Amino acid sequence: MAPELVQQIRDKARELLTSGAVDCVIGYGRATDGVTARPLFVYEPEKVDELIFDETCTHNLVGYLVNRKGKKTGIVVKPCDSRAINVLLNEGQISRDDVSIIGVVCDGVVETGWNRVGEAQQARCQYCHQHTPVVYDFLIGEPREESPPSAEDYAAVAEMEAKSPEEREAFWAEQFDRCCRCYACRQVCPACYCTECFVDKLDPMWVGIRVAPEENRIWHTIRAYHLAGRCSGCNECERVCPVNIPLSLLNRKMARDVEDLFGFQAGLDDKEMQPLGAFEKDEKLGIGE
Amino acid sequence: MTQVISKSDLMVWLGRLTESHRLIAPVDEAGTTLFQRVSRVEDIALDFTNTVLSPKEWFFPPTETLFSVEKKDGGIELVPNEGVEENVIFGVRPCDALGIALLDKPFLNEPADALYGRHRDKTTLIGLSCREARPECFCTSMGTAPDDPANVDVLLTEVADGYIVDAVTDKGKAILPQDLLKESDVTAPPPPSMATVPVEGIEDAMSQSFDDPYWERLADRCLHCKLCAYVCPICYCFDVRDYNDKGTVQRVRSWESCQSSGFTTIAGGYDRRAGKGPHLRQRFGHKLLYFPREFGSPACTGCGRCVKVCPVNIDVREVIGDVQGLGGTSGQ
Amino acid sequence: MANNDPFIPYLATVQSVVDLTPDVRLFTVELNDPAVRESFTYRPGQFAFVSVFGMGEVPFGITSVAHRDEGLQFAVRRVGTVTNALHEVREGDTVGVRGPFGNGFPLEDYEGKNIFIIGGGIGMAPLRPVISTVLDRRDSYGDLLIINGARTPRDLVFAPEFDVWAQSPRTKVELTVDRGDDNWTGRVALIPDVVRDIKPSPENMIAITCGPPIMIHFTLQALKELGFADRQIVTTLESNMKCGLGKCARCNVGDKYVCKDGPVFDFEQISHLFEEA
Repeated sequence: MAPELVQQIRDKARELLTSGAVDCVIGYGRATDGVTARPLFVYEPEKVDELIFDETCTHNLVGYLVNRKGKKTGIVVKPCDSRAINVLLNEGQISRDDVSIIGVVCDGVVETGWNRVGEAQQARCQYCHQHTPVVYDFLIGEPREESPPSAEDYAAVAEMEAKSPEEREAFWAEQFDRCCRCYACRQVCPACYCTECFVDKLDPMWVGIRVAPEENRIWHTIRAYHLAGRCSGCNECERVCPVNIPLSLLNRKMARDVEDLFGFQAGLDDKEMQPLGAFEKDEKLGIGE
Repeated sequence: MTQVISKSDLMVWLGRLTESHRLIAPVDEAGTTLFQRVSRVEDIALDFTNTVLSPKEWFFPPTETLFSVEKKDGGIELVPNEGVEENVIFGVRPCDALGIALLDKPFLNEPADALYGRHRDKTTLIGLSCREARPECFCTSMGTAPDDPANVDVLLTEVADGYIVDAVTDKGKAILPQDLLKESDVTAPPPPSMATVPVEGIEDAMSQSFDDPYWERLADRCLHCKLCAYVCPICYCFDVRDYNDKGTVQRVRSWESCQSSGFTTIAGGYDRRAGKGPHLRQRFGHKLLYFPREFGSPACTGCGRCVKVCPVNIDVREVIGDVQGLGGTSGQ
Repeated sequence: MANNDPFIPYLATVQSVVDLTPDVRLFTVELNDPAVRESFTYRPGQFAFVSVFGMGEVPFGITSVAHRDEGLQFAVRRVGTVTNALHEVREGDTVGVRGPFGNGFPLEDYEGKNIFIIGGGIGMAPLRPVISTVLDRRDSYGDLLIINGARTPRDLVFAPEFDVWAQSPRTKVELTVDRGDDNWTGRVALIPDVVRDIKPSPENMIAITCGPPIMIHFTLQALKELGFADRQIVTTLESNMKCGLGKCARCNVGDKYVCKDGPVFDFEQISHLFEEA
């Protein structure tokens, strides 16, 4: 990102902190490897120069807002992250007045790991048609023309759908077999904010905490269902998985189906309730019809 | 004079071990390397730095039945889990071997964990010296080294066209393929060097910085996932639950992490360790202060896995440096 | 312990189940194996895990005393998954018992001293064996002062024993509730205020307290106002536990394990703990 734009982020953060508009600005700082990014919480105006923005800023910081309800917070968001803000606003998890949103026009982020900056853009950036944040108070960068959505966006989902049920069963069994139930996918997700997750519940014990094929499979599929219509496609879940389970495939499949069935995409605004959370009196339930 | 084995003979030896024992070795899968049971030596990944999960799972599995409840004579009987197999684990790095030795301390401390003890007795470790140190490695600061034979049964060190074979224990000697070993005057290459971490005096520094606001700030970005605990060769928190699968009752132990929220919550909802700061501090307090006080060394082997996987870059090396730099705010 | 594997409970049969309050039941169990019964010795302040197989296992302070041969007793408050399941257990059912664990009260050190028991709600359960021991060895101890409080009169645990306690020589029992009812003619006051009202002298006295964290916090304040030193105030801590053996790393308060180094601590020890107890 152009240095003057990074400076704009810092100046805006300084302004928000010195004016007292916020107690804290959540943005990106440099990680200990010296090349990638990490979340940074800035409380003092003197520290804003630690804020960075570049193509390693993959993290979705919006999840941090849930626990800061009632406190004034500034936050740096990419367009995908900003959609998560709408999801949380819609679900009452954050209050619009509490957040000062520094939205960044994004050119995409690259694959990163610790001490590793990839050459290629992340897959999600390759099918992104939303380079300008959908909600913001301050915009960093100029909005640009978007390419139209295309069927290619869901190519990976289509490829999976083309496989037979047996092939898909075998594929996912192999993926879930590696799962160690670290819940990094859940914890990094802004939409996973339940104070008690179904998978931790003791009574009734819906799933259990055994690391075992059946339980792993139920964990991932139910989570995908819980995210249907709510996932903003940041793919952080897939990035943080230590054993490379292709979680984005599950979430993209859900997103595609929700779009096909309900014409709805998560987080484009904060007004419309996501389809699986809404109940209309005259809704067709498909039962007995 | 040293004993060496050629690369091809190593494969022969490992092939024999797949027949006589259960051989566990690093295997590449989906872009990761994990210790798995192998029946074909071609599946073994020889060209790896380290696995994503440490070999602790072969002594302290992510999920393990402690006992089952069987109906007997109109009453019930508790049947302990006796199922422990003879394992050989190939490819154990010295940092991970130290991890296993440290894991012995809480588990074999009286009253000893019988199941863990059986895993340990029935497992032979073939260590593999490291040719290279990763940027996140710091084992030399934590009491071991890339070529440390201390905690394995056999140590292999790569040389041109083969490996030096060092039988460290009698258990190790017992599995050596005497017919495949040759005498040689080759010497081991110097181990790779790595950056150091200021661990000296960390116990006192932790003690003195215990109430510092540093922990609250550090914890701001912590996600409370369980990655750091799960990849760590020494983290050993566990949960115990009963499962009733259609009438079959088993008591099962599973991995847990002190970082999961609700770790210290009791029925009724009271949590004595509520708050992100105290929560995260527990991890470093346990590793750098409580464990050394109880068992004599920090609960960290310098393997660097937590540094590599933490989604938000909470870096134990940075924390150690920061804690050393914090002046005494409260002493205990 | 007779068992080679410290994770495997002993089987025990429930001898009786008695309602103490609307949500507290007293379970008396007998260990099935005679050899285990012989070797299972325990001290006041120690605890054991009780299993309802299929539901789980929870630690409880042992509320009986070994020397009375009254069976192994646990006072269980219904508050979570396993305690709810335990409340469904009936006479003749089988449960698991694992233990005894913990350090227990150093009652030998208290001989010749005055004993001041302050219990709130279910917190009386681990204190009851201290009372039983003092009553049974009356001449070994000085005065016995008991303050027992609860939310309402119905929630006073061990009500049937109050008269027995009060009738013992040099013993005083003070009951109090947060909220009375139509029949209650006793004190309606918070425990710390009762402490201040009675104003016992800290001279040669050990105060042993157990109850909800907030009650302990304010009781501690009141005792210190009266001149009690930290060393003279003793409590027994509660924690989420999975093993009782110092292995699951869940019950530590700083570098001390509630299961091994406790659960009994005096407040001088607690002041040195790294974390809040």
